[in-house]
Amino acid sequence: MIKEIGHTTFGRRIGIMVGAGHVPGINAVVMGAALAAGKLGWEMVGIRDGFDGLLHPERYPDGGLVTLSPQLIETLDPNAAGLLGQAPRVDPFHVRQVNDDMVEEVDMSDALLRKLQAENIDAVVAVVGGRGLSILYKLHRKGLNTVCVPRSIENDIAATSVSFGFNTALSVTIEMLDRARQGAQSARKIGVVEVSGDQAGWLALQAGIAVCADVVLIPEIPCDLQAVAARLRDKVTARRPWGLVVVAEGATFVDGAKPEAQPSSLKASLSPLATGDASDHVIRRSGQAAETVASRLQLSIAEETYPLVLGPWVRSGAPTAIDRQLALAYGAGAVRGINAGTYGTMVAFVPPDVKFVPLAEAINKVRTVPRDSEFIQIAHSLGIFLGREL
Amino acid sequence: MNPATSAAPLSGIVLNIQRYCSHDGPGIRTNVFLKGCSLRCKWCGNPESIAFKPELSYDPKKCTGKAACGACLKAPFPEAAFYVVEGAEDDKVRVNWDLAGECDEALASLCPTGALEMFGKRMTVDEVLSEVEKDESFYRSTKGGLTLSGGECLLQLDFSAALLKGAHERGFNTAIETACNVPWAYIEKVFPHVDTVLHDHKLTIPERHKKWTGVSNERILSNFKKAYEAFPDIDFVARTPLIPGINADEEHIRAVLAFIRPHKNVIDYELLPYHRFGLGKYLSLGVVYELDDYKTPSDDLVKHLQSIIDEAFGRTGR
Repeated sequence: MIKEIGHTTFGRRIGIMVGAGHVPGINAVVMGAALAAGKLGWEMVGIRDGFDGLLHPERYPDGGLVTLSPQLIETLDPNAAGLLGQAPRVDPFHVRQVNDDMVEEVDMSDALLRKLQAENIDAVVAVVGGRGLSILYKLHRKGLNTVCVPRSIENDIAATSVSFGFNTALSVTIEMLDRARQGAQSARKIGVVEVSGDQAGWLALQAGIAVCADVVLIPEIPCDLQAVAARLRDKVTARRPWGLVVVAEGATFVDGAKPEAQPSSLKASLSPLATGDASDHVIRRSGQAAETVASRLQLSIAEETYPLVLGPWVRSGAPTAIDRQLALAYGAGAVRGINAGTYGTMVAFVPPDVKFVPLAEAINKVRTVPRDSEFIQIAHSLGIFLGREL
Repeated sequence: MNPATSAAPLSGIVLNIQRYCSHDGPGIRTNVFLKGCSLRCKWCGNPESIAFKPELSYDPKKCTGKAACGACLKAPFPEAAFYVVEGAEDDKVRVNWDLAGECDEALASLCPTGALEMFGKRMTVDEVLSEVEKDESFYRSTKGGLTLSGGECLLQLDFSAALLKGAHERGFNTAIETACNVPWAYIEKVFPHVDTVLHDHKLTIPERHKKWTGVSNERILSNFKKAYEAFPDIDFVARTPLIPGINADEEHIRAVLAFIRPHKNVIDYELLPYHRFGLGKYLSLGVVYELDDYKTPSDDLVKHLQSIIDEAFGRTGR
């Protein structure tokens, strides 16, 4: 790929790709980018399933690229599933291949750049999360003209105050927590609800505040479960025999312990179907924090606790008005960045402006909840316990 | 996939050479681990052996941090490959594994604390055999010798064949650890130089084999059967890495026994209870270990399954 634009403003052909994992509002980004490109007289094409549409076109009978014509964009439903699909992993530097029954990881980054050039795509809007930003940065250093759009339901991407997808996830989480609270009230138990947030606790904290949870546990504040139990003993009484604990999946503990799944080896070993069609074992990526907190609290308090995991539920559904606007703005903003030649950047919302942040400043950082965050103060004011006395 | 070339002197990528081993073939042995594997077993205990190329590893315990060192935070290390987290409890370096992959041995050697190291290095056949020869007296007194392991040692075809041939020429016993997930021609070239073949029966059913290792086992089973018949003088020892919930059950053990027992040169069937020793290596490579929640099989279960094998081999009181 050439770093110089090498084209007149009119008649450019640019691409858009989406990284792994669905986030509500992706179609709106595509719409925003396509409309902005159309206004400049450019053609915009969507690459299916990350970069797979280019790297493996043979998998797509209708072609690995989607021409985002005005007709298609006008009828595109911003609430529907992503038009361009997703690949489970977007990393052209390590593409797993099976040739002659032998597995290997192949660097297809050069092939990707050649294919983009062959398709006359001279710049790419990349809608990616934190990991994807590093990959796109690496591709940019190899010559790819790109402007990235940050997407994260956890709002953990640095250098932007908000990623699209977060507001929808927050709204759905609040709705689910309301239901969990009703369930806890009627069952007279303590619900422990795990929400997304591996390194950043924004979703747990903001949703927990919205529903006035009793306790919110976030990765940024290692929690003392004995202190949590003491707080619950105070709050859960005969007159109020229920409680609600919100725990981020990456919650940490003062004693350094990590959430652990219950061992299932013996049960699995005795399974008569262990080599048959079924297996006891599944690869689990979530649920361990809620299980750990619920079971450890159960040892310290009289009331029954039960774990719930929202997990990927909050990744789906129609985007909220805020996310829809943000996604459209980010899509259009990325095209503006390409037009200005600000490659190797991420479009960011730095109130009140939309800016272009160099990728090197956006990677290797996580936007975490600072100790002096206003949300921490709000939680204190509402009597929400954050896992230990601060 | 074979990085060894015909250029002289013949060389290959060696992960590690381990002396005084006693479990991978007869007598006292030197195990030579070669890099590169054609399977992706989710329980793999040697993740550093999977890639063919030497690769970077990072041990945070050895890192002294930005203030005391910070060597990797500036050139010639790749920009943004290493970083520190502002506001973290320590100033130890973190690795962006997507960007640090370009680091080679020369760069890793610039880390003064040894926190950055490379897994694997290129060695010639003579260099490896010189190491192996150091324990010649032990081999003679115990009928031991060289064991090639991996990864999948058969993938470094010419290198493996030359090492085994060289060991034979020196009078050492030779053994290989293999899953035999290679074309038959590879086996034909290497097995004439092997005395003992330790071979993995990981899963019995092709679909499940594909789920947990990345490929079906149809070619593997075909290779095993052909090898049993084509090389009657080799001692074959079947092995199963025993992983609860995946293959640690009677059904699998009996299926393997049914496969191997008609062949008299399959002299034993060993169980290798799953362990988590590889977990730290995943961390040092920046790779997610998908079986993080898994436990080792219980002693009772292993004893029970071992008793089935002993019975099939006509052994009692073991």
